Amino acid sequence: MAALEWIRFCAGGLFLLCGIVFFVFEMIGVFRFRYVMNRMHAAAMGDTLGIGFSMLGLMILCGFNFTSLKMLCVVIFLWFSSPASSHLIARLEVTTDEEPEKHYKKKNIEPGEKEKEAV
Amino acid sequence: MSRKLSEEEYKKTLSYRVEQWFAGQRDPYLEHLRMKPQAERTPEPEREEALREEKKERLDKVYRISDNRPVKLFEKLYRIFCIAFCFFLVAMLLIAVSFLPSYGEDEKPVNNEVSRRYIEKGLQETGAVNIVTGMILDYRAFDTLGESHVLFAATCTVLILLRHDKKKGERDTEEESDRVYEPKNDVILQMVTKVLVPPIILFGIYVILCGHLGPGGGFSGGAVIGAGLILYLNAFGFAKTEKFFSEKTYKVLSVSALGCYCLAKSYSFYTGANHIESVIPLGTPGAILSSGLILVLNICVGIVVAGTMYTFYVMFRKGGY
Repeated sequence: MAALEWIRFCAGGLFLLCGIVFFVFEMIGVFRFRYVMNRMHAAAMGDTLGIGFSMLGLMILCGFNFTSLKMLCVVIFLWFSSPASSHLIARLEVTTDEEPEKHYKKKNIEPGEKEKEAV
Repeated sequence: MSRKLSEEEYKKTLSYRVEQWFAGQRDPYLEHLRMKPQAERTPEPEREEALREEKKERLDKVYRISDNRPVKLFEKLYRIFCIAFCFFLVAMLLIAVSFLPSYGEDEKPVNNEVSRRYIEKGLQETGAVNIVTGMILDYRAFDTLGESHVLFAATCTVLILLRHDKKKGERDTEEESDRVYEPKNDVILQMVTKVLVPPIILFGIYVILCGHLGPGGGFSGGAVIGAGLILYLNAFGFAKTEKFFSEKTYKVLSVSALGCYCLAKSYSFYTGANHIESVIPLGTPGAILSSGLILVLNICVGIVVAGTMYTFYVMFRKGGY
């Protein structure tokens, strides 16, 4: 049984470490990038992958009980809400940015152009 | 008899659609979930001009100091009194600090018998497993009543300051309420809200109801419910929230919750503030219907907090329900 416990501890620790690494990426991205969209991408990565991995690690360490179910609920909630909030920020940025050329190129893709290319 | 469907009937069934989706020939979101471009704002030059004039007039009235002697005098006096008050406050605080007991002293007020009694006899006397709840809603319930009333008073102040008194039917233009670029009727947000708001509000209710059994209570649960309401408002707009949460709802809810709290607590005071004799049984600690009045008080506080949060948001955003 001791070996099994060790395997569980190692797996949980590995996932936790993975999540922490993603959080570190997120922090670096949020503070280093200068444009909203780039920062948003970094922040969303931490909110989805970082929290997913860390909670998975904690769930493995905690075992199968009511607490781990609550952790699963936290993950599901964040996976719903974080993309929605990112979407809203992006939409606001696109509608209010007066000089989008500074940061990205706007492509005017006609509807159906893709299909023409495919043909 | 064969149960084979004809080709056209088969195309209507769910399994056909799922099969198409697996094969990659059909995108279920393509027709149904699509972002609509935001409606263009129609400029109203006359109205905007009038608004600008009005604003300029108002600013002139208040800020043209050269013609306004009382304001001039007030500004001078204001500075002098400001400095005097600052010095007074600093002196007061420094004197108070010099009388504080030194760090780590054994006979500090923190280390008296009150906190020991809370820890040792809290469960016995209040019936709440969560000692903090037992403290704030039983021993110090009068204090919490004051806190709820502070929230109520804060809402009243915000109502006085920010409320728009307009005739019914005469809605603000978007220019005035500063919501020109805000995403309206966003399909993605509405979808997410539909999924998330019921669990959020349920979770808030759970936190309120289990306040005496674990971490939680009226303040945190009420905040969760208020956040859920704000999310719903953001997704669907005022037209939908008006149907279940109007000014009248807020009035009735908060006043009845505060009144219920006052009644329950004054009953407890009249039967002896130290709980000498109370009709309400404490129940078994750990059960949801236990610990006497704490559950009722928690619900009251939760209602007040939720209403306050929602009202603050609504007032700051539009100035009316």
